Amino acid sequence: MDVNSGSVHVVDDIVYDMIPLVEPLVNEGIKDPDLVKAAVVHLAGIPYPEEEIVEAVDEVLELEKSGQLFAKDIYENYVFDFKKRPTVVKALCLHIAHDCNLACKYCFAEEGEYHGRRALMSFEVGKKALDFLVANSGNRVNLEVDFFGGEPLMNWQVVKDLVKYGRSIETANNKKFRFTLTTNGVLLNDEVLEFANQEMGNVVLSIDGRKEIHDKMRPFRGGQGSYDLIVPKFQKVAESRNQTNYYVRGTFTRYNLDFSEDVLHLADLGFQQISVEPVVAQPTDDYAIREEDLPKLREEYDKLAAEMIKRRREGRPFNFFHFMIDLEGGPCVAKRLSGCGSGTEYLAVTPWGDLYPCHQFVGNEEFLMGNVDEGIVREDIRDQFKCCNVYAKDKCKKCFAKFYCSGGCAANSYNFHGNINDAYDVGCELERKRVECAIMLKAMAMMEEDDGAQE
Amino acid sequence: MKREMKHVKTLTTRDLKESMKKGGCGECQTSCQSACKTSCTVGNQSCEQLK
Repeated sequence: MDVNSGSVHVVDDIVYDMIPLVEPLVNEGIKDPDLVKAAVVHLAGIPYPEEEIVEAVDEVLELEKSGQLFAKDIYENYVFDFKKRPTVVKALCLHIAHDCNLACKYCFAEEGEYHGRRALMSFEVGKKALDFLVANSGNRVNLEVDFFGGEPLMNWQVVKDLVKYGRSIETANNKKFRFTLTTNGVLLNDEVLEFANQEMGNVVLSIDGRKEIHDKMRPFRGGQGSYDLIVPKFQKVAESRNQTNYYVRGTFTRYNLDFSEDVLHLADLGFQQISVEPVVAQPTDDYAIREEDLPKLREEYDKLAAEMIKRRREGRPFNFFHFMIDLEGGPCVAKRLSGCGSGTEYLAVTPWGDLYPCHQFVGNEEFLMGNVDEGIVREDIRDQFKCCNVYAKDKCKKCFAKFYCSGGCAANSYNFHGNINDAYDVGCELERKRVECAIMLKAMAMMEEDDGAQE
Repeated sequence: MKREMKHVKTLTTRDLKESMKKGGCGECQTSCQSACKTSCTVGNQSCEQLK
């Protein structure tokens, strides 16, 4: 992968072996084909016939010339202009309920309460949040609102009223709301499903995988498991949405390092849109992923990718969120630099209307940015997040995955290092592995397509 | 692919350098809203202009 151009090449052994030899020459300005060929043939001692090497050098230099190989990093200066950009708010995470009917052991929201009191968002607060979003979104047309919690179905009437209100102000303001819902499924019923299918652009259904894994980490407050109650409901959601515009989303922890089994279990249950992610925890938590777990986890991602290829060939494919990558229609550099947009384009709103950079920071007073009545009061916090990009992070500068994760999650960085401009190292290792698998899957698909075309 | 190569097969990708010229409209989806909520993944997002 050529990091700075974004190009992805599948190469044979000759090219693979010669790239480290040719790159320094090109960087020194030596691009004359004869010189490069001579250097590779004589210096390298790589065990290939000379005519093959000569041919491969021509191809490598052609890619360099077309800007698809050894591209320079020209984006760092672009960032300086980028920092000065005016930002608008385009997405809100509405904490519609700081309460939950489950007691998931790894919940960063501490059973929905976010280090604070239990509370439900009133329609009035929600309405002000939507007005704030419209007023602060500049000329952005597409606005996103996620109903989040705790468990948003514990305050369902307000969700419905806010959707209705949002729709009522779209035309006059030339806006289009994309509503999404994240739920644990406990209160999911036909009425909720019908409304969600009509109004929600995406529905995220929380389930961890195998029954014993799910029930261990996602019990009711009384300790009983929730798997048996939610699985049939989630299957119904998936089918009623034609297997699109939803995700079953799970968390894996140190207790299920063999998480590929959980992903495959979800696929076996009939789900085709799957996202299973590593837990974010304090290093002191017993279920936290440790550095020593990385080899096993890398192996699991490889195992999962291989199984996905197998199932794709068998005509029963499924999508794994972290292996999805849009190479042709992916984001522009500006997006890749700005990352998730927390604290600038994306804000979280508490039930009582306070604004935080994202849901992960809710409850940490240090990051309280303002409220729906007064808007952003702490512009310094917003500016701090605006400057949070891959070039602000030393660890990202040389990372091949920097334009795919965009510097990672600010909250993870804060949790592990006490500031948002660092990177969560275990998370980085896993992200690199996922990008590697994602690109491998794309390359495999391309080669299968080519083989198919030739047959 | 511009030309059939023997040693290299190139996947069709968006030219990042080119995207500097017209990029940054901001109409795309917010990364964290989509499915994850605990990690940042941007490469799998789609550009609204290219849809």
